[in-house]
Amino acid sequence: MSRRRTASRLARILAMLPWVIANPGSTVGDVSRRFGYTSEKDLASDLDMVFVCGLPGYGPGDLMVAYIDDDQVVVDTADYFEGAPRLTPAETLSTLASALAVVASGQATPALESAVDKLAGTLAPETALEVDLAGEPELVGSLRHAAADKRVVNLTYTSLAKGGTTVRDVEPWSVFASLGNWYLVGYCRLAQAERIFRVDRIRELSLTDETFVPPAATPEPAVRYTPSDDDVRCVIELSEEARWVLDYYPVDVVEDGDGRLVIEFSAADPSVAARLLLRLGARARLVDGDEVRHALSDLGQRVLARYT
Amino acid sequence: MRHVIERLLNLLAFLLTTSRPVSAEEIRRRVAGYGGSSDEAFRRMFERDKDVLRNIGIPLELTATDGWGIEQGYVIDPGAYRLADPGLTDEERAALAIASRVVRLGGGPAPPDALLKLGGTGLGGGEEPLGADLGLPAETLGDLFVAVSERREVTFTYHGRQRTIRPYGLAHRRGHWYLVGEGSSGMRVFRVDRMEETDVAGVPNAFVRPRNFNLRAEIDAHPWEAGPDEAVTAKVRFEPEMAWWAARTLHVQHTEGPLEVELPVANVDAFIGWLLSFDDSAVILEPPDLRRQLVERVEAALV
Repeated sequence: MSRRRTASRLARILAMLPWVIANPGSTVGDVSRRFGYTSEKDLASDLDMVFVCGLPGYGPGDLMVAYIDDDQVVVDTADYFEGAPRLTPAETLSTLASALAVVASGQATPALESAVDKLAGTLAPETALEVDLAGEPELVGSLRHAAADKRVVNLTYTSLAKGGTTVRDVEPWSVFASLGNWYLVGYCRLAQAERIFRVDRIRELSLTDETFVPPAATPEPAVRYTPSDDDVRCVIELSEEARWVLDYYPVDVVEDGDGRLVIEFSAADPSVAARLLLRLGARARLVDGDEVRHALSDLGQRVLARYT
Repeated sequence: MRHVIERLLNLLAFLLTTSRPVSAEEIRRRVAGYGGSSDEAFRRMFERDKDVLRNIGIPLELTATDGWGIEQGYVIDPGAYRLADPGLTDEERAALAIASRVVRLGGGPAPPDALLKLGGTGLGGGEEPLGADLGLPAETLGDLFVAVSERREVTFTYHGRQRTIRPYGLAHRRGHWYLVGEGSSGMRVFRVDRMEETDVAGVPNAFVRPRNFNLRAEIDAHPWEAGPDEAVTAKVRFEPEMAWWAARTLHVQHTEGPLEVELPVANVDAFIGWLLSFDDSAVILEPPDLRRQLVERVEAALV
């Protein structure tokens, strides 16, 4: 029995008691649904514990009253528990931040917006908290509805890695924001495989009339890039000013010490590494990786050609 | 678990109704569940119980039981214990529940405790295909959030230098969390994941936030707009195949053909990095100095 589980169970009791006190006549079904009790037995077991607790003396007049009468939950003589405990700072932050994130996605219902106002007003009147998920609210909204209605979408998409623009039909599973970008996850009929698309690279979107059957369990959106065997690898030495690369890309650190920082970088396409190297200029040096060297040289020459 | 929960309920009931600090010894003697244990067993049990209560957010304080500070006792202020009820409707609770389920902080959705405290909610709502990952765990941000709310100074190490600032706001932008505040070198924006040895133990109400403080304005919309460089206006041309994307990023109107825009630049490094993400589909037209810096960057990469 972990402390975390004890704390969760106690927190639920301390939240449930005030509700029942404030809403006399609540049924077992109401209370169970509202507080996530999966069975009447679980709720009864918590009420049994409350029934044997109270104030020193622990006689009949000192103990709390808590039981199920027919289908009603009864709680009495527990006045000191008539308010739920306040939220912890982490709870206040995560509740507000999640709500603000949905508001920032342009997908908030009026109920969510009024909830944010009430919460900010009572729980954090002095706090300046903002969440901005840069993105295209119309696209995010359309994709969300398409995913909810299980409708196939038609995308005109410009690939980040390869630069080319394609038109494809996609069965949208979910749309999510991560690391500053919005992504669409789904089954791509062109690639005939699960794919992740960056929403800001969707140039045009249209909903088709065709519906699809999603997999029974859609995979958890894997936000972070996971290397595969087909990836192009290269070894890069970074200067200290380019250490931030470690925060932004999933790299393997080969060497870090005595003023030398060397990483192994892998990506599905050599142009990803080439673009990073171009950006870093003198702050990085390609140590090993012929494919990336070619891609870098090609990309660099093309850019320089625009300035001659 | 039963006897642990029962003991905690008894302890809480006792402390919420005792309007004076009570010593550990008195708790041991009077609260059901602690009796009959050895000194060592009591000490361990009581430490654990205090830990559980504080985890839930219960303000258990240790204070002097008398004017001379000879003995210390525990006290819970019932006013501080209770949640200030925001008066949510069930519809609002359900909307918050969906938001908590789809938004991740620190890799997972928030535990349901907060929503239960706010009055619980049914699990309805069904599948929600929308999601967002805000990165850092709520625990890391929670302390800074308190510092901002209670106007406590924060001390931390940033890029190897120790700083003390008055934190005015906390914001998520472009995938990262930022703390905005004022210190000896003026108003600054700090990335929370780069702050080290953070200490938020300053006293409450240590400062007043300036009336005209605007969090949104402090965190600029584009990373190249704020920085160490002398502000210049860059004239840039985007070729037709990528012009739509530039227009979308810059929030400007564009229908077809190439796009030419003038942009204020105060962070050349960030600006060139962003422009190079367009490969050869973007070119700086003016000023010559900025063109030269981009060319130098590319040439350095090709060595």
